[in-house]
Amino acid sequence: MKKRIFALLICVLMISSLIAGCGQSNTNKPADGTAAPDKTAEKTADASGELSGTFTYWSCFSGDSMIWDQGRVDSFNAENPNVKCEVQFVTDSAGINNGKLLAAIAGGNAPDLIIADDYSSAYSYAANGSFESWEPYLEFTGLSLDDFIKGYQDVMYYDGVPYLIPQDGNALMLYYNVDMFKEAGLDPNNPPTTLAQLDEYADKLSVKDASGNYTTFGYIPWLDSGNDAFVWPFFFGNNVYDQETKKLTITEQNVVDTYEWMRTYAQKYNPEKIQAFVSGAGGMFSPDHPFMTGKVAMTLTGNWFTNALRIYAPDVNYKVAPVPVPAGGRANSTTVNANVFGIPKGAKNPELAAYFLKYAMQPAVNATNFDEWRSVPTIDAAFDEISWTKAGDEIYLMERKLVNSPDSGMPALCKVSAQLSVDINALRDNVIYNNADPLPLLQALQDKMQAELDK
Amino acid sequence: MNMTRKNSIRKPMRAEKKEALTAMVFIAPWVVGFLVFTLYPILSSLYYSMTNYNVLNSPSFIGFENYINLLKDKVYLKSLTNTLYMIVIGGTITIIVSLIVSIIMDNRKLRGISLFRVFFFMPTLVPTVIACVLWIWMLQPTTGVVNTLLGYLGITGPGWIASPTWSKPAMILMMIWACGNIIIVNMAGLQDIPQSMYESASIDGANFFQKVRTITIPLLRPVILYNSVTLIINILQWFAEPLIMTEGGPDSSTLFYSLYLYQNAFQFFKMGYASAMAWIMLIIALALIIFLLKFLKFGESE
Amino acid sequence: MAVIAAVSQYGTVGGIYMRGVAKLHRKMKRSKLAGNIETAILYLILIAVSILFVIPFLWLLFGSFKEGSELFRAPFRWLPDRIQFDNYKQMFTAIPFLKYLKNTLIIVFFNIVGSTVSSSFVAYGFARLHWPLRNKVFMIVLATMVLPFQVTMIPLFIMYTNWGWIGTFLPLTVTCFFGNPFFIFLFRQFFVGLPKELTYAARVDGANEFRIYSTIIMPLAKPCITTVAIFAFMRTWNDFIGPLVFLADDDLYTLSLAAQLLRSNLDPRWHILLALGVVMVMPVLIVFFLMQKYFIQGVAMSGIKE
Repeated sequence: MKKRIFALLICVLMISSLIAGCGQSNTNKPADGTAAPDKTAEKTADASGELSGTFTYWSCFSGDSMIWDQGRVDSFNAENPNVKCEVQFVTDSAGINNGKLLAAIAGGNAPDLIIADDYSSAYSYAANGSFESWEPYLEFTGLSLDDFIKGYQDVMYYDGVPYLIPQDGNALMLYYNVDMFKEAGLDPNNPPTTLAQLDEYADKLSVKDASGNYTTFGYIPWLDSGNDAFVWPFFFGNNVYDQETKKLTITEQNVVDTYEWMRTYAQKYNPEKIQAFVSGAGGMFSPDHPFMTGKVAMTLTGNWFTNALRIYAPDVNYKVAPVPVPAGGRANSTTVNANVFGIPKGAKNPELAAYFLKYAMQPAVNATNFDEWRSVPTIDAAFDEISWTKAGDEIYLMERKLVNSPDSGMPALCKVSAQLSVDINALRDNVIYNNADPLPLLQALQDKMQAELDK
Repeated sequence: MNMTRKNSIRKPMRAEKKEALTAMVFIAPWVVGFLVFTLYPILSSLYYSMTNYNVLNSPSFIGFENYINLLKDKVYLKSLTNTLYMIVIGGTITIIVSLIVSIIMDNRKLRGISLFRVFFFMPTLVPTVIACVLWIWMLQPTTGVVNTLLGYLGITGPGWIASPTWSKPAMILMMIWACGNIIIVNMAGLQDIPQSMYESASIDGANFFQKVRTITIPLLRPVILYNSVTLIINILQWFAEPLIMTEGGPDSSTLFYSLYLYQNAFQFFKMGYASAMAWIMLIIALALIIFLLKFLKFGESE
Repeated sequence: MAVIAAVSQYGTVGGIYMRGVAKLHRKMKRSKLAGNIETAILYLILIAVSILFVIPFLWLLFGSFKEGSELFRAPFRWLPDRIQFDNYKQMFTAIPFLKYLKNTLIIVFFNIVGSTVSSSFVAYGFARLHWPLRNKVFMIVLATMVLPFQVTMIPLFIMYTNWGWIGTFLPLTVTCFFGNPFFIFLFRQFFVGLPKELTYAARVDGANEFRIYSTIIMPLAKPCITTVAIFAFMRTWNDFIGPLVFLADDDLYTLSLAAQLLRSNLDPRWHILLALGVVMVMPVLIVFFLMQKYFIQGVAMSGIKE
């Protein structure tokens, strides 16, 4: 008798664990009892062309942006009684950089829409066939892709098919400390415009103490956005991957020059000491960022940093300038870091996803986003609606010019960009820490990744 | 009433068979679990390791190409040497430090040992992410506790996880901090060594170090073996700490084996390649264990 | 072995104490001065080392009461300017704390139940029954303890994807109903130590094995069950890579993943993270303090060869 009760107990527990496990997943799909029948109804628009149903949306945002996106979804749901958006916040760029999205697609339960902040990895996903084309659904978005600023166009198309639609973008600029400029005898209204000037100013702004240790560095090439894999090669004029020839171009002279230039900084200052000095546990959004504490006089980063400065270091007197470049580089332009929307392969409600875009891309909806981060819209006309433009904000006006530059764009968009960015940063580390020669390393890396591309 | 059976009386065949069948029922859950969740995945892993597989499309068979490419892959070799460094240097230091601490704590004259034992075991209770955050803070070059303490001794601390040369030693510090498990097992093993052996050695004129060398270590061999094996398996699987603290840098100094495996599987679309790495890991684990068994058996004679 | 006898009678702490007292009497006869200096040095070393081990916990505790901007200020200061509970309050809003707590508890519960029941069940088959190849198969069980997770991680991931288990709790709960090698080992060691007379008497009376398992052996195994339950709790409470790889749905995230969320690149919320850290460490610490005996018993039993 006891044995049977015992065995029964085990079975009950096993089954309940199975139910608990399955039950959890169901609470996230439309569980309003009309799940199954709705699926067929969701796809078809009724006679008046109205869409209805529920769709899932994976958002990459965290922190304040997460709160903003949640608010956006909530007001979308409020205004559209027939269409419901279920949002989930998934880290690592909506599950792109940790394989979750891949698993979801392979398992047949991909979300209907994602937004990713790592456009490079999102692009490699698109190139590997993980996204649906936006073409059939463009009518639901109400967008005309040709209106998008040219700088965005690179990331939107692979092989001529649009897989990713940017929501907004960010511009990179050189931030510099006005007070330190004055102390070093430099004119704050005359920031460096060429690379040579950048080097010269960096020298003047670096300050040593009595024992010969640096208390301030003028500029560190691999700090902040300078640390991103292809930013500096881009500014030196390279695209990293040529879409026409389908070949990597990292052995071209300007890429070699990029790393040779970084090497000069490593040789002049001790990179280990630099890292020890400037590394902070807090990252950009905490008061121990080196630009905020005066450890560096200039840094290359994006418009989002203005928000961090406002919150954590309001007393720092700073200005921004376009990124200085060498001769033959891209002057007065920027990489356009975009947050991109995509429809994962096998999504069940792509029309609803597209319909969400129609709502999401309205200037009014994005207003709080732009206001907080100074990010830039996808269409030039939209700039005029934004409060910063109306207020004549200098920084924002500069961003507008940078983004609209014909040289602006996004480098390294190809099938293997995820691995390429990891590897090229390892290469850079090798150059700066071990004083290695960049050219042979670049050649080896190019051969290796080209082989992957050609598979 | 005493109904003990003698071992020499054999049970009748039927009873033996019945016992065996009953035993099968009892171990059935494990057998099923083993076949489904362990053996099948191991064999699948072997299959995937010989394919190109990006999860979205079906795997395509390529024979041993992955293995050959691994041997030519400089990044892979770097991850291998990094991990071996941690095993050989970090593992050895950890085992030695924990031995020293346990031997000290085994001193019967000291009281309050149970309190110390709690202190040493506490770090193992901390969740991984929290532990990483704590150590990122502690290892801060300018404001961190480690360098502040070193400063009291007049030493300028290095960059730790910001430095290619000191990042692995920083990880070793973390490893030692979490060796509470090993200390406890050592102490339990030390309990088993009869005090009489130490006393007769004292009478023979042996000092502390001689006693440790000739009595303690040899008798503790099975325990040391067990600890070494568990530690090696742990180090091979180390993945969360480098992922959270350094992402494999700087200069690939903390790119450990499991981290590179994870990157290949979940970020680079190369599941086949990652499976090949997993199989090599298995072989290395087995090789190290066999080596340890031999090494510690042919150690000091009793 | 002597320690097992002492342990099973008094618990480890008690066992050590009893033997320690006996030794102490004998030692008292030796030279006092040399002994005292040696003792003092040893104490100093131990105190110094334990301070190093405990410092991170102190920072965790103090930091959780500090304001965010205070955390990374140089020069470094221990105590917060003023104690404020804001971080803890924010913890409930910044992440769905209660939901994640519930998720973690669900997984922990099923793990504890599944592990204790299935592992003891399987261990009985290895410990109290005789059958051919028994010891060889047990070697295989032990061998699986040595298997690195990465070897099976990818195929399990693909398997679970095909079964539709990714995005549910199943990968983290169902597997523990099939026995866990380490727990099977612990139970087996314990069962082997129980007197054979118990089972022989019951068999002669005609009871079948299930009956013996459930009515005789298991009630005696309470200390072992407790140990295994504690280990299962600890393992699951802190598990990071399992949820990271197998949970896709943020509705199902556990507390350890929540910690990862808070740490995200653009906007790490250190102050909330510390509060979460205290909350995650506290239960485990309390369980440890109360159940120290079982913990250590379990850890010790795993290392000693019979």
